[in-house]
Amino acid sequence: MVAMRQRGPWFDRLVDISAIPELREIVVRGDQIRLGACVTFARAAAHPQLRALTPMLAEACLSIGGPQIQNVGTVGGNVANAAACADTLPVLVALDAQAHIAGAAGERVLPVSELIIAPHHTALQQGELLTAFSFAAPPAGARSIFIKVGRRNAQAISRLSVAAIGHVDAAGLVDHVRLAVGAALPRPQRLTAVEALVHGQRPAPGLYALAGAQAVAVMLDITGRRWSTEYKEVALSQLAPYALARVLEDAPLPTRFDTP
Amino acid sequence: MLIQFTLNGRPVSVEAPAHLTLLTVLRDYFHLTGAKEGCSIGECGTCAVLVDGELVNSCLMLAPKVAARTVLTIEGVSPADGSLSDLQEAFIAYGAVQCGFCTPGMVLAGEALLAQTLTPTREQIRTALAGNLCRCTGYQQIVDAIAAAGAQRKEVN
Ligand SMILES: Cc1cc2nc3c(=O)[nH]c(=O)nc-3n(C[C@@H](O)[C@@H](O)[C@H](O)COP(=O)(O)OP(=O)(O)OC[C@H]3O[C@@H](n4cnc5c(N)ncnc54)[C@H](O)[C@@H]3O)c2cc1C
Ligand code: FES
Ligand code: FES
Repeated sequence: MVAMRQRGPWFDRLVDISAIPELREIVVRGDQIRLGACVTFARAAAHPQLRALTPMLAEACLSIGGPQIQNVGTVGGNVANAAACADTLPVLVALDAQAHIAGAAGERVLPVSELIIAPHHTALQQGELLTAFSFAAPPAGARSIFIKVGRRNAQAISRLSVAAIGHVDAAGLVDHVRLAVGAALPRPQRLTAVEALVHGQRPAPGLYALAGAQAVAVMLDITGRRWSTEYKEVALSQLAPYALARVLEDAPLPTRFDTP
Repeated sequence: MLIQFTLNGRPVSVEAPAHLTLLTVLRDYFHLTGAKEGCSIGECGTCAVLVDGELVNSCLMLAPKVAARTVLTIEGVSPADGSLSDLQEAFIAYGAVQCGFCTPGMVLAGEALLAQTLTPTREQIRTALAGNLCRCTGYQQIVDAIAAAGAQRKEVN
């Protein structure tokens, strides 16, 4: 909408997809979740099962803009718009979400991490529509978190964001871990090198610090040094350990769920 | 294109180009100038209205999107006799209005919150106002006014 207002209408046809019932559905079957592309941030965040199974997704939705934006903006629009700082992207990527795409030729499915090619560029072809995202909930007992760094508490674009999932087995060793970052890489992706470093280990501050250093190394490897690196490497070296500690330990998670 | 919807409790229809925003249609076609164009990019909330009870920025919504839905603007908040609503009175009583540019959006944001709970915490009120900017008051008075109106409605019920 903002782009349309600034450039003026450049199209000769505009289709409102927000009323198509199939695109607005949230379906939870066991641990399988299907989230319609036209589900608004407010509805995703308020969905009790989604909130319970993937708290980080609800947290990300509640961090987007203010209430007015959350009431209208959709997960599909956030993904299709493909801003590097889009807050649902690290979460969907950490969940290994698949994007369902409908076109005249039929349906195809692509991981969200492959759908996004570069900032504001997706693999969507002319005439294709995102219909839904599907993913498995994290394993039972796993904890998840979404944290973002912005200039203010609300209505602030992410300067950096982290989505993390973690679970520790009965022996006290990490048996499930996912880490994805937003606003740091040209395309959202899991930091698999960091995950590998943490997997099978016993959670401890030293491990988190190593993971933070590794996360920074991965980022620099992909982006090289940019104007924002000076800030982002410090922020990520702290944010990644913080997120891992929160999901691998038992302390209560910070939350934006104070909405009535 | 013909757009039919319910505006401040009354069924209306308007013939307007499909690419106009709800804000433009409200102001230029219905001459309801309570909603203001502060930024036109969704940042300030001076254009906020309620669509089916949900707070939205009318500068970021195309008018055809409200077809068959209900829209409440600040003009529809006060009783028909021209007096002010209890929440508007509270804004005055608590000094929550200075220049007044943000006030229509602030009052509607307050109404959206009070529809969900009459006893919001201050934090909940602040979250509900997160998309509405005020350059004058410093917000505390606005939070006070909404809390007071909620408490008063709770007592009445
Ligand atoms: C004030 C403000 C604050 C914001 N703050 C944040 C923030 O904190 N974090 C954040 O991540 N984002 C933020 N945003 C951006 C944001 O709200 C969007 O990215 C939003 O999600 C867009 O969703 P929409 O449904 O309105 O999409 P639209 O604006 O309608 O569409 C965006 C683009 O995606 C395409 N599109 C939409 N849906 C589909 C679909 N199903 N299939 C194919 N293409 C599609 C459209 O054609 C268009 O090109 C903010 C925006 C504003 C105005
Ligand atoms: S004019 Fe609509 S949000 Fe500022
Ligand atoms: S009273 Fe002036 S902007 Fe709020």
